[in-house]
Amino acid sequence: MKTVLKGASLFALTMLAASGSALAGKADDTLNISFTKELENVDGYFNSSREGVIMQRTVWDSLLYRDPETGEYKGNLATDWKWVDDVTLDLDLRKGVKFHNGADFTADDVVYTVNWVVDPAHGVKTQRNVNWMKSTEKLDDYKVRLHLKAPFPAAFEYLSGPVPIYPHEYYAKVGPSGMGQNPVGTGPYKVVSVEPGKHFVLEKFDGYFKDSPKGQPKIGHLDIRTIPDINTEAAELFSGGLDWIWQVPADQAEKLKEMDQFTVANESTMRIGYIDMDAAGRTGEKNPMTDVRVRRAVAHAIDRQAIVDGLLKGKSKVVDAACFPTQFGCTDDVTKYDYDPEKAKELLAEAGYPDGFTIDFYAYRDREYAEALANYLNAVGIKTNFKLLQYSALRELRMKQGTPMSFQTWGSYSINDASAIVSQFFKLGSLDTARDEEIKKWLDVADSSIDPEKRKEYYAKAFKKIADQAYWVPLFSYNANYVFTKDLDYTPTTDAIPRFFQMSWK
Amino acid sequence: MAKTIETVEAALSGPTPGQVLRGRIFGHRGLMFGGVVLAAICIVALLAPVLAPHDPYSQNLLARMQPPVWFDKGTWDHPLGTDHLGRDYLSRLIYGARISLLIGGVAALISGLIGTLMGVAAGYFGGKVDTVVTFIINVRLAMPVVLVALAVVAVFGGSLQVVILVLGLLLWDRFAVVMRSSTQQLRSMEYVNAARAIGCSTSRIVFSEIMPNIVNSLIVVVTLEMAHAILLEAALSFLGLGVQPPTPSWGLMVAEGKKMLLFEPWLIAIPGVALFVLVLVINLLGDGLRDVSAPENRN
Amino acid sequence: MIYTLKRLGLAILVALAVSMLSFTLLHLSGDPASAIAGESATDADIAAIRAFYGFDRPLIVQYADWLFSALRGDFGESYYFQLPVAQLIGDRLSITMTLGICGITFAILTAVPLGVAAAVRPNSMIDRVALFISVMGQAMPSFWFGLVLVVIFSIKFRLLPPSGTDGWQNFVMPTVVLGYYAMPAIMRLTRAGMLDVLSADYVRTARAKGASEMRVMFKHALRNAIIPVVSLSAVQMGFMLGGSIVVESIFALHGAGYLAWESIGRNDLPTVQALILIFALFYIVFTFLSDLLNAWLDPRMRVG
Repeated sequence: MKTVLKGASLFALTMLAASGSALAGKADDTLNISFTKELENVDGYFNSSREGVIMQRTVWDSLLYRDPETGEYKGNLATDWKWVDDVTLDLDLRKGVKFHNGADFTADDVVYTVNWVVDPAHGVKTQRNVNWMKSTEKLDDYKVRLHLKAPFPAAFEYLSGPVPIYPHEYYAKVGPSGMGQNPVGTGPYKVVSVEPGKHFVLEKFDGYFKDSPKGQPKIGHLDIRTIPDINTEAAELFSGGLDWIWQVPADQAEKLKEMDQFTVANESTMRIGYIDMDAAGRTGEKNPMTDVRVRRAVAHAIDRQAIVDGLLKGKSKVVDAACFPTQFGCTDDVTKYDYDPEKAKELLAEAGYPDGFTIDFYAYRDREYAEALANYLNAVGIKTNFKLLQYSALRELRMKQGTPMSFQTWGSYSINDASAIVSQFFKLGSLDTARDEEIKKWLDVADSSIDPEKRKEYYAKAFKKIADQAYWVPLFSYNANYVFTKDLDYTPTTDAIPRFFQMSWK
Repeated sequence: MAKTIETVEAALSGPTPGQVLRGRIFGHRGLMFGGVVLAAICIVALLAPVLAPHDPYSQNLLARMQPPVWFDKGTWDHPLGTDHLGRDYLSRLIYGARISLLIGGVAALISGLIGTLMGVAAGYFGGKVDTVVTFIINVRLAMPVVLVALAVVAVFGGSLQVVILVLGLLLWDRFAVVMRSSTQQLRSMEYVNAARAIGCSTSRIVFSEIMPNIVNSLIVVVTLEMAHAILLEAALSFLGLGVQPPTPSWGLMVAEGKKMLLFEPWLIAIPGVALFVLVLVINLLGDGLRDVSAPENRN
Repeated sequence: MIYTLKRLGLAILVALAVSMLSFTLLHLSGDPASAIAGESATDADIAAIRAFYGFDRPLIVQYADWLFSALRGDFGESYYFQLPVAQLIGDRLSITMTLGICGITFAILTAVPLGVAAAVRPNSMIDRVALFISVMGQAMPSFWFGLVLVVIFSIKFRLLPPSGTDGWQNFVMPTVVLGYYAMPAIMRLTRAGMLDVLSADYVRTARAKGASEMRVMFKHALRNAIIPVVSLSAVQMGFMLGGSIVVESIFALHGAGYLAWESIGRNDLPTVQALILIFALFYIVFTFLSDLLNAWLDPRMRVG
């Protein structure tokens, strides 16, 4: 037994290290990629996964493009745009752009796409992406007018992201499922074949318009497979069956890096993890979480630095405020709770729980992190009933009856503004567990003000109170690992959207 | 479908007269071996707090996945190494025995109660009762167990109680089938007829005449279903819908180790072997008991 | 004929009961609207989806609706893929069927010879080896066995691909794992049947008449012993297809079992519902066929 175990693991490692990437994709100009999740529908309006976002950027174009480096908005399918008033935007469209099926891109495509997706009856999956628009009208063949429902400061953010433009005749004919199976866009890559959820083959679109802010695609073919298991991905990587994988867990990335056979790149993402507690007492008046001393005890009980060092690694950082540090309005100047289990026990005793208590602790992802959190809580006497639910089930539970305590994460849709996180959860909505009127008032001011300094001031007030009252225990920021062949030239971005059209062979 | 059920039963609960021969040579040895090892595992489970070198829940995030002692970097402090949260693997394995035995035992108890009740009722009363019970058994057999268990656990969330209950409510079929046919055979026996003739109540006949005579085959089915429940829980845990962490179930330990399959294969090998041994000895015990208690063998 | 019709009626009733039970179980969680809506959905999105799919209707109405569509072969549309479930499953089912057929073939090809050999020489070395193999098969968690094979054959010796469905190589390990799961029962039954038959009068007579040992084995003994094995194999096949979920998830075979597992995680109820029914139907059809086979082989059965 002993020798078998030892042999197997040693052997596995040496074999891995020894095997070269014989079939690397550079030779046949094909980048072999794997997704870990099955992409439900390539039609970007009908999926809500990260894989879908990647495909959407690769196969389609939006009206605008946001440069991931500078954050500047550039014209993509539009060349120029101008606000007529707060709710009306005129856009000049680019001439000479062709869809993959040969059709010309004109105002009709924009009008059809927007008017189709804003109709709730068509059931676009993420309504938030489209429901701020009212309609579009055609001014001439290359000019459209977009009507908004209400003033919407983030309009450019959305126009440059999740609102791709479809060829109107084709989409009218095939609809979402047809588009999912035979996608047609104007983007840098065209789709050659789709096996739903399993396999996608893309090819460089030679007719891609020259002035695109995305640049021209350089790699000839993209071959995307779904491989849900990291071991399989790694095995394929070693045998040369894959050239690029991502979302590699920290432990595996570390091992792969040690072998020095691939490029292992790490980049932080905007997602942060936090513990949400039922401060408002929705799950019962006597819920211990209604006591600020208990919530502070929770904050002191957790060794966040150890979790970052031991589990997340990479560019992850401990966060103290309920926001990602680079977000506009985020501040570090809040009450900090250091790891101090003794103090946590004292606080619990003060609150009337010298022997701790038992509580339901929910989580929906990153079981490992959640388990580590639960163990820290158990260590100071907060005995957790650990419950891992599907995201949807937990969300429903939180909205309907609340949960005493849960491990949550939020990626702010990669929007670099504190409103994308704090205003989402502290304005008395169904997921607001603090239900603090004062914070809501401050956030209202911060969200609607046009004066940046005033916004900062009011967000800061909110973050300070959240930290002081320990409504949340902010934990850490996430990171993403990318592992790819050394032949590939690629630098990940913080928005965690891989742009295949910007990759090239060395 | 009655014939099918018998076929399934014959195959699953196994040996027919032919195996009696083997029983004499191997069965008793298997029985002995199974019994002794199972007893040892039970003792380990009972004495877990005494035997475990560390607290199975105490984590050390900076000492994760340390290899077992026979590797170069292993130390005697953690003879089987540490897991992905830096918890002592040996201690988790020892406590895990409790979980596996608990799941197997209680699930077999629940399914045994349901199955025996249904089987005895069908066998004793016959007629419409039998038709209904047979139908229910057929429905149950037609349901894909793993899939249904997964779906139910996904709906209710996988706590230890839910998993045990789901397994208990799903695995009664073999009890029902075996108890039904055993009771049928007994029903026409003279002493049962005699008891009925002198006016004994149904419950009295069932408890004092029928039950003592089917208890042998009941015990055999209990062992089989215990093994079945343990394996199924492990499979559920492996698929991510079993008992919840930090409970150290062996299936969960394999599932957790799977992530590092490529780099640290010992993480799945250790709990996998434990699981295998436990199920093996329960099966050996069951086979042995069956051989010993088979009527042909008594003659 | 009447027997066949009665059996058929029973089979349909069983299928109906399975579908009703699974529908109820799946919908106990409340409605799946927020699962469909995804992580970033607002309350309004969820309400819109709830109305769109009709989750606000009584369960019995939803079931009736589903049933009548299903009878027409329409299992609805997958919440996740937005494709007709029938189309989605059709693709995947062929993989599961291939796996099931390979698995049962592997099981029979190993179990029957072993069982016969064990019966011919009871208590010999080969009998014990056969017993050992079957006990191992019963005790080994199939997911663990699968992973061990991956470590050995994919990682250590690089002989077989660890996942995917590109060629026959992809099916080797899944076939062995799935087949090994079905093997012990078949082997035990073969052995027991052979032992019975070999001690039967007509075999002794044949031997006494001086028939060759081979002839006795195959002409007389195996032919009779194999009958229950055939019907057991049919039943095992039904079980196996339902059990392939674990095997498919280990080897990332994108078959029906894997789809079922993923769909549970995604709350894709129409897909899960259809798959439960289809797996149940497999079992029902196989048992139905094996019952008919039994009845045909043994007319006494038809009465009971």
